[in-house]
Amino acid sequence: MKNESKKSVAAVLTAGPLAAEVLFDPLNIEEEGLFSRDIDGQLVRLVDSTASDYATDIHLKIDGRAVTVKKAVPTRDSQGNIVNDAEGHTVPRSTTIYDAASEVFVEKPGDVNPIPILCHREHMQPAAVCRVCVVEVFRTVDGKRRGAGSLVPACHHQVEEGMEVQTIESANDPESGTRVRAAVKVLTELLVADHLSESALATAADSEFVPNELTALAKRLDIKESRFARTKKVPIVDRSSLRILVDHSACILCERCMRGCSEIRENYVIGRAGKGYDSRIAFDLDTPMGESSCVSCGECMISCPTDALTFKGDRQSQQKFEPGESATTAEELLRLPMFAGIPFKFLQWNATSIVRQRLKKGEVLCEEGEYGRDAFLLVSGEFDVGTNSIAGRESKQASGWLWKWFGKQSNKFVASTSKPGGKSPHMYSGRQSIRLTSDAVIIGEMTCMSHYPRSATVTAATDAEVLRINRNVLYMLQRNEVAREILENVYRQRALDNQLDSISMLQSLSSDQRSECVAMLRECVEFARVDPGQVIFRQGEKANDFYMVRLGFVKVTQARGTQERVLNYLGPGSHFGEIGLVSSLTTELQSYSDGMDGRRTASCTALDDVELVRIRGEHFRELWKRFPNIQPAFLAHAKTLLERDREEQAKATTSLPEFLDQGLFNAQKLLVLDLEACTRCDECTKACSDTHDGVTRLIREGLRFDKWLVAGSCRSCLDPYCLVGCPVDAIHREGSLEIRIEDHCIGCGLCAQNCPYGNINMHGFVVDMINSDMADSEAGGGKRAVVQQKATTCDLCRDIVKSNQDPSCVYACPHNAAFRMSGEELLSRVQQG
Amino acid sequence: MIVQELFRLQREAGYLRKQSLLDISAATGVPLYRWHEVASFFPHFRLAPPAATEVHVCHDMACRLRGACDLEKAAKQVAAKAGDNKVAVHGVSCLGRCDRAPAAMIDEHLHVGSTAKEFAKLIEAYAEGSPPKHDYDADQSRQNADGWSIDPYDKSNSSDSTLAPYDSIRRFAEQKVLSAKDVISALETAGLLGMGGAGGRAYKKWDDVLRAEGDQKYVVCNADESEPGTFKDRELLLRTPWIVLEGMILGGLVTGADRGYVYIRHEYHEQIEAVQAAIDAARRIGACGSSLFGTSFRFELEVFVSPGGYICGEQTALIEAMQDHRGEPRNRPPQLQTNGLWNQPTLLSNVETFAWVPAIMARENGKWFAAAGRPGMQGRRFFSISGDVAKPGAYEVPNGITLGELIDDYAGGMRDGLKFKAVAPSGPSGGFLPAKLPTTALRRDFSSTLKTKADFFDLRDWTLDIATSRAMGLMLGAGIVVYAEGTDMVDQAWACSRFYRNESCGKCVPCRIGSQKLTEILGNILERNFDPKQLDSTKQLVDELGGVMAITSICGLGQVASAPIRTLLEYFQDDIVRHLKSS
Repeated sequence: MKNESKKSVAAVLTAGPLAAEVLFDPLNIEEEGLFSRDIDGQLVRLVDSTASDYATDIHLKIDGRAVTVKKAVPTRDSQGNIVNDAEGHTVPRSTTIYDAASEVFVEKPGDVNPIPILCHREHMQPAAVCRVCVVEVFRTVDGKRRGAGSLVPACHHQVEEGMEVQTIESANDPESGTRVRAAVKVLTELLVADHLSESALATAADSEFVPNELTALAKRLDIKESRFARTKKVPIVDRSSLRILVDHSACILCERCMRGCSEIRENYVIGRAGKGYDSRIAFDLDTPMGESSCVSCGECMISCPTDALTFKGDRQSQQKFEPGESATTAEELLRLPMFAGIPFKFLQWNATSIVRQRLKKGEVLCEEGEYGRDAFLLVSGEFDVGTNSIAGRESKQASGWLWKWFGKQSNKFVASTSKPGGKSPHMYSGRQSIRLTSDAVIIGEMTCMSHYPRSATVTAATDAEVLRINRNVLYMLQRNEVAREILENVYRQRALDNQLDSISMLQSLSSDQRSECVAMLRECVEFARVDPGQVIFRQGEKANDFYMVRLGFVKVTQARGTQERVLNYLGPGSHFGEIGLVSSLTTELQSYSDGMDGRRTASCTALDDVELVRIRGEHFRELWKRFPNIQPAFLAHAKTLLERDREEQAKATTSLPEFLDQGLFNAQKLLVLDLEACTRCDECTKACSDTHDGVTRLIREGLRFDKWLVAGSCRSCLDPYCLVGCPVDAIHREGSLEIRIEDHCIGCGLCAQNCPYGNINMHGFVVDMINSDMADSEAGGGKRAVVQQKATTCDLCRDIVKSNQDPSCVYACPHNAAFRMSGEELLSRVQQG
Repeated sequence: MIVQELFRLQREAGYLRKQSLLDISAATGVPLYRWHEVASFFPHFRLAPPAATEVHVCHDMACRLRGACDLEKAAKQVAAKAGDNKVAVHGVSCLGRCDRAPAAMIDEHLHVGSTAKEFAKLIEAYAEGSPPKHDYDADQSRQNADGWSIDPYDKSNSSDSTLAPYDSIRRFAEQKVLSAKDVISALETAGLLGMGGAGGRAYKKWDDVLRAEGDQKYVVCNADESEPGTFKDRELLLRTPWIVLEGMILGGLVTGADRGYVYIRHEYHEQIEAVQAAIDAARRIGACGSSLFGTSFRFELEVFVSPGGYICGEQTALIEAMQDHRGEPRNRPPQLQTNGLWNQPTLLSNVETFAWVPAIMARENGKWFAAAGRPGMQGRRFFSISGDVAKPGAYEVPNGITLGELIDDYAGGMRDGLKFKAVAPSGPSGGFLPAKLPTTALRRDFSSTLKTKADFFDLRDWTLDIATSRAMGLMLGAGIVVYAEGTDMVDQAWACSRFYRNESCGKCVPCRIGSQKLTEILGNILERNFDPKQLDSTKQLVDELGGVMAITSICGLGQVASAPIRTLLEYFQDDIVRHLKSS
């Protein structure tokens, strides 16, 4: 094929004086795109896709293969998660030609999309600047097949009904395929001439693994050397950043770093500077990276397809391992199907976050009840997963007071999980212990994502091997389509098993029925992610779906007149939405519903990042019909809830909602000062400062409840928002309650931003005294201090006191005015007066 | 906001001080990189203090023919003598005064037609703080405007003298005797084409914008005339700005737009003033503003001064610049008619396209215009003609005249009786065509219709009509540069190739790197660092690269950037060999 296409390019090119125009004729280029107008000749206005586009089929052909895709796909964020708008709806975006080609040609890891890309990534807004994804499109109007003359970028051009696409791999239209391939080859040669060294090209030829995407493309197109003269530009290398090396000569101006910086991380540092051939990426006002407002989040480097932005330094060499643990390399990981397609530089950047662990038979991988940060990718061996102790479940239920306080029926309905000895909602359940092989792919992912304690103990049943990965790596895996699919299947299976266990109304099913029910639901449940503050449904709306909470908290509120009252807070393992559905299926609830059958009786709003399992109404109704023995339980449950609502209405409102609005339901270790005893002597602050190298981690200011002051200090939240998103995974909770910020913090400030209570502070620390000439900076000679911003927060003085002892602030108080307590305790003290 | 603020900051300090950018970023919350990416893109903005005297010399096409290189050299000598940061000399591309070549600007004041010696004196005078009298576009007599029929209100040139400007606006808004349908059908009858180069049918564009859904629509006049060899809009804006505005306002009434912008290149000082004055006058009589002639129709008009760069003449790049972005073209579709300024339907046309509308509406609803061309051709149009002709200028001609007629009957024939060697039929965009063009270069379906079978087609017989030219396989623009015997085409081609390299915005790979590689290849030939034996292989590579640029570039610039070198290698190999042999 390759030789043939070469021959035919040459053949066409030498056919006449301006023969290249047969291939590339500028005068044949239509001013408008082929699909600019609809069949009536009306110019098509590009509008945002709508949800109805999800259901619209588009039929097209790619390289002769007939393809049907939806007109729109849901927008995903950089983690591969589907993005929701404020109303909780997904955000449709137009399906592109590239998307369609992925859908057809990429079925399993390792499959190659025939359309090459450099400047594009699925989770980014297409820029269409590198043009290597160009394809030729044809449209048949009135039986006449027409081409546009010019090629279109597949990453940007949306699919259209009746479109015919020819890629560089096209075999069914050799003339078009040759044209596209010749074009992509020339474009790649141009990039090679300017941005790739001869040696890089030569080494790539023999190596199996080529991280530089430009090199890989040159290799794919069999380009040994560019036919164009190499650039005479003087290479500019910016070494000013401590973490990232910027080599402008390798930069192909794909804008991926810019989009990573502004669209994904919202740091707004990188732009294009200059014009034309002298364009380059620049930080702020074209200042060196190290002197710019860059926070070294690393996203630009991970996004960079070439060697323009590379990782500087070597975190891995300082890494310490426990027995049985060893380091992994980016190269070996990329050979695993799960990691195929993950950016090489991401694996470098996160090298310390992926550790190989070998276990002997009988060794424990993780214990129920402990806090953890890792998930485990199962490489080989078998594992026993069991819920053996009650302790784990107890600690996990630390927020149980909430539903105890609200719901008189909580033990029965809201959280069947609070029953000692009940089934864990979290991981594996139902059986005391189950055996898993490495086919199970991953375990421990819920703790890794949600920061809740482990819900089961995992023991190696044979000699075994796992890869311990942290949250950043897990997120990156989800960014990769193939890995995402593998993971979603696993989640789907487990989430269902776990969630169904937590629905007491299903307990009446026989075990056969239960399996039948699971099998039916597995095919149809959906996973939804809801952002904080987002309304899941509103009171009075027609009831459509039934929900189960996987992660996060949902607030249930009811409006009566002008008042909005909080009815309940639902945590992981709970479910909601059944009343509206049940009332549409039976007349038995009519006495409660005031003619509102089939409507929502309350509004449900996400309190934080909530992940839901959704059962669509039609499937719920099918369940209802197919398993009539669940009906009484559902009815009884609905009645109880409705009765409770009635009782509540009779009562006066409480100040609780305000209390909850401050997030105190989430707090496990508030620093509370009794203002009647407190003399403002500030001994607590001094003690804190003395314990932490002169930098205090508490501020004696904050919310007041009666005589109680909630001081500014880490609350050890049940669901710590601060742990989300750290680019270098330096903030964790591991083993015990306190939040720890490790020394490799890069000072990006994200955790401080994420903490809603302002309890994480940024401080400059001298991390090193260096000789300037040896340093990365180009500054003059002599020693100078390297100051690095780092985040600090209360660690409950864990380095000096045991977990059952008071931290310095409490211990130092001469007036017995300082306490550490949970939100629940504080509330009860306030209520006691 | 960004572009306007940068203009203001530069006016205040002479350049964009780092501290002012830091301050304004902090005050507005617009990130630093956004200020820098805009400031560093547009040639008008300076990030370093300017020299005491700033000299800009046009060094392309007609100016290059008329000694621009000597001017540049002389200016640099003055600069070297003056010492550090006293005089800075910049070679630039096309100041739009190709008819008075060589053109230059000293401290943003126009100086045309100087010899190197005179030019050096001028700079010295500026440097000594006693600037001499400078030139104005208005200095030129109305000789070029004689015979214009485009202004239906011009008492001296036409017979419609009973009408007053903005007649069509009165008829539409006030008397309500003209409907959107009437206007569009008059444009269709007239057969008016877009005069910016693409030659699309004007009525269709108006109809597209009319039919496009949008809460707000806009009319934008592309007066960013920057293509070397093209200066007709300069004359129209200066001499008859009211007809341009009338065309825009009527466009607004027809399509439902109520805001219009005239986007003018910043080197057109007099034109900016003329348009501004015309807007003020129109507002005074009620032809624009919040109530058109006392009716509920409204149309606001504004001048938007371009921060510079040829690329902004590309319609989507122009819109990007108006939206405070770098002037980088958009991927199309969608088209501007549906997704234009601020993503709203936008009627964007060239100055001349709007300017013809009043005459079309005033004279038999388009029938006069339709009949104004040569037999079989519709309408009249403007050409800018420069180079080796006796009377370079902007001429209004009936559509369908031949190149020979344009040169002889309008431009006074070849300069000094020299022999016609070659022509650049669309600024640099169509490359260079020899006076005797091989018939093989023409489309076969066209050449087969020629009555006499000959090996060469005499370019003087070329009918200067867009549709005819397209059928022949030739590109025809509005700026025609004529070259006489003795011109070194290698030198011209290299300068034109450099022009595209310099003006490429750098957004897409084929244009950004391709234009550089082409210029380097031509540079090797220019520097005589080239073996004639490589001609065939070079031509093959250049054709392939140029072809790929044509079909993969985002906008027209990249699509045509290879024309100078490709036509040089195609038609002027003798020039190349001669150039390589000369010393």
